[in-house]
This record gives sequence, structure tokens and C-alpha cells, in this order.
Amino acid sequence: MHTLIQGVILGVLTGGVYALMASGQTLIFGVMKVVNLAQGAFVIASAYLAFTLFTQFGIDPLVAVLITTPLMFGIGVVGHWLFLRPLRREDATELSILITFALALLVEGILSITYHTTYRSINTSYANKAFDIGGFSVSAVRLYGFIVSCALLVLLYVILQKTRFGRAIRATVQNPQSATLLGVDSNRVKAYGFGLGIATAAASGSIYGLLFPFNSGSHYDLISRLLSVVVLGGLGSIGGAVLAGVIIGVVSSVAAVTWSPTWSEMTFFVVLLLVLLIRPQGMFGRVERGAL
Amino acid sequence: MSVLLSVDNLTKKFGELTAVDACSFTVEKGSITALIGPNGSGKTTVFNLITGYLPSDSGKVEFAGTSIQGQSPGTLYRKGLTRTFQQARVFADLTVQENLVVAGGGSWKNLFGRRITADDRARASELLDEFKLSHVADLYASELSWGQRKLLEFASVLMSKPRLVLLDEPTAGVNPILIETMATHIRSYNAAGVTFLIVEHDMSFVMRVCDPVIVLDRGKTIAAGDPLTVQSDPRVLDAYLGD
Amino acid sequence: MKLSKEGASPFFTRIGLARGGVFIVALIVMPQLFPQHWIWNMMFFTVLYAAMSVSWNLIGGFAGYPSLGHAAFFGIGAYAMAAIFKSTHLLTNGWQPFFIMPLIGLGCAILALPIGLIAMRTRADVFAIVTITLLFVAQTLGYNLKSLTGGAQGAGLSRAPFRLDIFEQPFYFAAVSLLLLAMGIAYFITRTKLGMALTSIRADEDKARGVGVRTTAVKVMAFAVSVGITGMAGGIWAYYLGFIYPQFAFDPLITIAIVLMTFLGGRATVWGPVLGAAILMPAQQLLAYYVGGSQIYLIAYASIFLLIMLLLPRGILPTVLSKRRLASLAKQGNMSGISSTPAITGGSNS
Ligand SMILES: Nc1ncnc2c1ncn2[C@@H]1O[C@H](COP(=O)(O)OP(=O)(O)OP(=O)(O)O)[C@@H](O)[C@H]1O
Ligand SMILES: [Mg+2]
Repeated sequence: MHTLIQGVILGVLTGGVYALMASGQTLIFGVMKVVNLAQGAFVIASAYLAFTLFTQFGIDPLVAVLITTPLMFGIGVVGHWLFLRPLRREDATELSILITFALALLVEGILSITYHTTYRSINTSYANKAFDIGGFSVSAVRLYGFIVSCALLVLLYVILQKTRFGRAIRATVQNPQSATLLGVDSNRVKAYGFGLGIATAAASGSIYGLLFPFNSGSHYDLISRLLSVVVLGGLGSIGGAVLAGVIIGVVSSVAAVTWSPTWSEMTFFVVLLLVLLIRPQGMFGRVERGAL
Repeated sequence: MSVLLSVDNLTKKFGELTAVDACSFTVEKGSITALIGPNGSGKTTVFNLITGYLPSDSGKVEFAGTSIQGQSPGTLYRKGLTRTFQQARVFADLTVQENLVVAGGGSWKNLFGRRITADDRARASELLDEFKLSHVADLYASELSWGQRKLLEFASVLMSKPRLVLLDEPTAGVNPILIETMATHIRSYNAAGVTFLIVEHDMSFVMRVCDPVIVLDRGKTIAAGDPLTVQSDPRVLDAYLGD
Repeated sequence: MKLSKEGASPFFTRIGLARGGVFIVALIVMPQLFPQHWIWNMMFFTVLYAAMSVSWNLIGGFAGYPSLGHAAFFGIGAYAMAAIFKSTHLLTNGWQPFFIMPLIGLGCAILALPIGLIAMRTRADVFAIVTITLLFVAQTLGYNLKSLTGGAQGAGLSRAPFRLDIFEQPFYFAAVSLLLLAMGIAYFITRTKLGMALTSIRADEDKARGVGVRTTAVKVMAFAVSVGITGMAGGIWAYYLGFIYPQFAFDPLITIAIVLMTFLGGRATVWGPVLGAAILMPAQQLLAYYVGGSQIYLIAYASIFLLIMLLLPRGILPTVLSKRRLASLAKQGNMSGISSTPAITGGSNS
């Protein structure tokens, strides 16, 4: 029982980080109808960036977020402009999937040349610290990571709910056509929306780097988790992604403590298939049919 | 005459918005029925509900005396219930002729048979001639004009020998000469036993071609009857002139 | 596009038969002209990848469902081969594994059915999600099912007892047979209603379903056949190398390579993927020879892919063919029928 509760705690804390990554992923889908397969690669790229900032300049990864996030936002906007905006043909969905896949491999290739493929981890002074909360041990990095993730999710929520840009994004998610009619510049919204999605990847990259050892290939591991999370939450639903992130975090962490860590990796795939079998639109997704 | 299609208390909500609100009407066998109403009154949504492209929230739809609730568009197509779309949907990467053939249906075995059989070609070329599309038979559908696409989509739903055809604004974006062609085709297929339910904004077209006329406003049927009666119905004027 | 007016569309055209004949002869003769080992080796990989690209094209090109998980089936085929012909198993006759190959293909195809049925229920994006996740899962299994795969230490296969001076040849001809099988299937599809059904699915699946096309059956079938061939390619590859590692058997690079070859040559054509493979594979081998290091491929493949998507999104063959076609239409004075309206959005309409 104790291990089970310990597993749940761990799962919630890790799930918070997934929630942050996945909210960016699902935001991108909502705004652009693009499944961004490079999300994981950008997370890892940002983890490396945080690693460099930490080892070279001694900047704490959680502070480095202030640097990496705007940078990745910029990269996202440029990436959208370069690779996704030119797609206007009827097969844009299909092509964008392949383009983001190629982008992921490109990032992986560049990272593996710059940093080689050995696993890295960011060893801050608090890396091995743990708190004892009611008899359960909670590691400091996980707790800090969770708190920062929650703070950033709240920030994202505020941006989407309270700013004009956020309203434009939400209008586009709900109905792209009427958003355009209402004077929303859809290209700009898409570019910034993509940038914002990548920015969340940057923020979660710092935290990911604190929590796990990583190498350039880690993004495969990550992307399949993220995709399971967004499908469970419902493609395009940010609230769904957050909830699903926590759920999947808990399920896989419980599977790891009660069963085996290796097989807990499999829980993502099982969850994904079950969702598609039982409720393909996910928890909060909309059923989209091509009826006009 | 007997009832071919009956719609009873059909309702569809999109979030807050009730697009179709307890809508009821019938379509007589052998008629050319019009479904009109102001923009956004739910006409296309009714089509989507009838043809299985959208699930309804409540209500009943019967086709030829049996309930077709929850059946897929493909099943209904095979039963003889076909439709066109407001923005013509044709297969851009297939040629005009192939668009017809693919819509002609066929058995499992046919899937492994020739792309176009002599029989397919004969059936398609008949329609192509009729719809004045023979000269573009080997062009890709993406190379057609809007009006030609509308014609092609109309022609293609006829390939399966349907009993009821739902046309969503067949004349929108079509040039006046083609509109006349369209009217002629509708009348001649109707004479050959095909029933039509047509959504149309062009009132003179409705007056010339359709009888009876059903009027939809905010998802409700507010009037039904022959064109002249409906035209002079104050509720209809209200709906169109708006409040 | 042949503008024929009479009778049924033909299964074979004279020019098609001639093209096929020349191609087969070339495949047989070419390596004999340059009998060095490295040439045979390069030809082997080119033909193997051509076969995989042609098979990817069945689902990714014709049906418009971009699979990212083909490398998973490649790996499964490879490990199936390794499991059947363990290194302890002495082969008296080196041909046995080639005869087992169809069974491996069948196994992969059967495995693909439930996956396809679940993944293709909604749309292309969900399919991509499932297939890329599948690749990752297969890779994890490759590392962790140690009793079956040997884990990261790799797995050895029985050594093929072929004479060393002609060692590559049996593998090359096995790959050629696989390529011809794949091309035969692709050709068959373009000549039958299957091809029309797949194209209609790519263009507008909801509409296709609405006009009675049996979309689910057709696309799941295409997926199964496609990964079946890919699995067989994996089997040949494993037998050829004699020793395999999960990292190379389940390599995303395989996916991007075959996708890139298909896009470069031209999607939804019989010859496009072959052309793409014939250009890229030798280039990759030369790159490996001069530069080495697979991270470079990753960057090279990914950037070439991005460039092609931006500069030549339709690929070589379709671009050339449509130029020719427009010219011939113009000559017939048929241009009047062509409107300048751009192609509409065929698929779902947000
Ligand atoms: N898939 C959908 N999701 C949300 N709202 C929808 C959807 N389809 C239609 N609506 C809304 O339902 C209402 C009815 O739309 P519908 O297209 O049925 O009207 P219509 O009578 O066909 O209009 P028009 O004459 O302009 O074609 C509109 O307010 C429309 O915005
Ligand atoms: Mg409408």
C-alpha cells in the first residue's frame, strides 16, 4: 500500500510535466490541425540547452526557462513560417505530419553531433535532496519541477483566457472559418500558436532535464508518451491534455512500482489503443466529421 | 402518392446552438420537394442528419417505410439515398469519368476487376453526354470549373440508380446556362422515377422546378405546401425579412 | 494518362510490358557488368529499399495514410528471421530462409490487421500517431525481450553457406523478387478498381464512404500488404547481415528513408519510389563511404526531405508526367475544358 501511494505521488508529479508538454502539443493541433511530431525533439533540445547553460554558466535549469522559452518561441514561429505555412495543398495534414517528423530527426541529428549520444543529466545541488512528507519521500527536483509546471500551465491559461491573442487562438480552435470572418489573421495566429506550443516544450525541457537522464534519441520515448496523452485528452483540448498527462503519469508510475519499470513503458501504448478503441475522440475531443 | 422519406421531430444541437429544432416533414415519392430557409436555418444540417453524416440528438428518420436511424452514409447510399454537397465534393485526383465509375458502387469482386469495365464506360458515357461533360471526361476533377464540378457531382450520384437524391444548392456558383441544364436534368430524372429533395436559394428556380416547398427557420419547419401558397405565407416573409 | 475511349481499361499495355521487360533485364544484367562486391552490396540495398518504398507507397501514397511505423515491421521481420534461424542452427541449404520469407510476410500482414483496424478508424493524423508509437514500442520490446532478441547485445543468425565470391548474389536476387512482387501489386492496384478506391480515400474519405466505397476494408488491406512486404525485406536484411541489433532493426531512419524515396520519385505511382531509391540509396552509400557516421544521414535525409517538400512536393515523376499531359491536351485543343480554378480542398473541411 505504501509503495502504491508512493507511486501515485510520483505519478502526479511526473504527470504535471507531461501535462505541460502535452498542452503545447495539443494547442498546436487545435490551432493548426497539425500533429507536431517534433514536440519531443524540441523538449530534448531545450533540455540540452538547459544542460549547457548549467554546466557553462551555472544557470539553474529552472531559471534557464526564462531564456529558453522565448528562444524556442522564436524558433517555433520561424519554423512555422519556413516549413508549415507553405503547405496549402489539400494534403496539408498528411504532409505536415511528415514534415514535423523530418524536423524531429533533423533536431536529433544536430543534437547527436553537438552533444554525442551519451546520456546526460543535470546535477544541481538539490538533485539528490528529498523531502519527507507524511512518511512519503518526495524528491526535490520532482517537486520543484511540478510546481514550475503548474505555474507555467496557469500562465498559459491566463494567456489564452485573458489576452486578445489568446482569444484569437481560442476562436481559431473553435471555428477557423468564422475566426477569419471576425478579422483574425489566421496566419499570424497559427505562427504564434505554433511558437507558443514549442515554447511550452522549452519550459518542460528544463524540467525534463532535471528529472531524467537524456540523450538525443530520447525524443522517441517522449513523443509516444505525449501523443498518448493528447489522444487520451482529446486532440485539441488543453484541459484534456492536462488531465490526461496526470492520469498517464500515475498509471505508468504505478505500473512501474507494482510491476516492472520496463513494462510500464508499454502502458502508454496500451492506453493509446484502448482510447482509440473505446472513445476515439478522447476524453474531451470533438467528433469531427467531414460534413458540410 | 406514398411517403418516401419522413423526418419526425429531428433535433441537433451544436453546443449552445440548436441547429435543427424538432423538425418534421415528409417527402412524397415521385416529388421534387424544395427545402428553403434563410442562411443558417439548418438546411444543410438536416441533410447531414438524414444521410448519416452527422448523428442526431433525437427524432426519427424513415426511408421507404423503415427507420434509417444511425445508418452510415455508405449503407444509405446502397439503399438508394444519395446526396450532393453545398460545396461540390468530387475526387480531385480522379478523372471525370473515374469519378462517375467510383460512385457507381460495385461488389467486392469488382474491386479486383478492371479499373473501368466496358459496362462502366457505357453507363458513364451516357451520363457524361447528358451532362455535356464528355469533352472533359479524361481531365482530372481538380481541373474543372466550379459549375462543372457541381454538374459532375450531380451526375455521379445518379450512377448508383438512386431512389431519392438530396441536392444541396445545385445552382450556387453555376452559370445561367448550366442552371437551365440542371433544371432539365432534374425534371427528366424525376419523370424516370427519381425523387428529389432540393435545398435552394434561387427562388425563381424553386418556383419553376419544385413542388411542394418546405420552409425552415431556425431549425423548425414553419410552412409547407405548394410554391405559391408558401410564397404568400406571412410567417415565411417574416423569416426571410428577419426581425 | 491514356485517353482511351473504347471498351474496358486494359490490364497490360504494350508499352508497360516493354518497360517491365527492360527493367527486369537491367536488374539481372547490371550487377554482372560491375562484379565488384561493393557494387553488389549497393545494388542489394538499393533494390531492398526500392521494394520497401514501393510497399510504403501502397498505403502512404495511394491511400494517403502516412505510416511512420514501417520500420517496426522491418524489425519484426528481421527478428522473426533471427528467431527461426538461430546462429546455432546449421544451414545445409542456404535457400531455406528465402522460402520461409513469405510466411514472415504473412505474419506481419496478420499482425497489421488489428492495428490497422484501430488506427484507421478516424483519420490520417491518428494513424500517424499510432504507427510512430508502434515503432517506439517495437524498439523497446527489441531491447527488453532478451530471451527472444538478445537485447542490446544483438542476435546472430545462421551463416548463409554461399560461396564467398558470389555471396551477395542470392540476397540480391531475393530482393529483386521482392521488388518485382511489390511493383506487381502496385501495378495491379493502378489497373483495378482498388486503385480508384484508394485514390478516392486519399482525396476525400468521408465522401468516398458516402458513395459506397468500402473504405475500411480497402485501406486495411493496403496497410497489411504494405507491411507484409516490409517485414519480408527485414527478413532478407537480417539473413544478409547475419547479426542484428535492435537499434538498426527498428531504426526511424528506415522510415524516413523510404518515405523520402517515395516522395522524391513521386507518390501514388508505380515507378516513383523505384526512381527515388535509385537516386538516394547509392548517394547514401557513397556518403557512408566518404563521411561515415549515421548522424550525418539523419541530418542529410531530414534536410533533403524538407527541401523536397518545399520545392518539389509532388515528386519527380508526377511533375514530369503532368507537364507532358498538359502539353498533349493543348495539342488536342482540349485546353478549353481546363479552368484556372485551383484545386479545392478535397478532404475534411474543418
Ligand atoms: N459542424 C458544425 N459545428 C458547429 N456548428 C455548426 C456545424 N454545422 C452547422 N453549424 C451551425 O448550424 C447552423 C445551421 O447551419 P446549416 O449549415 O445547416 O445552415 P444552412 O441552412 O445550410 O445555411 P446556408 O443557407 O448558409 O447553407 C449555423 O448557425 C451553423 O453555423
Ligand atoms: Mg447549407
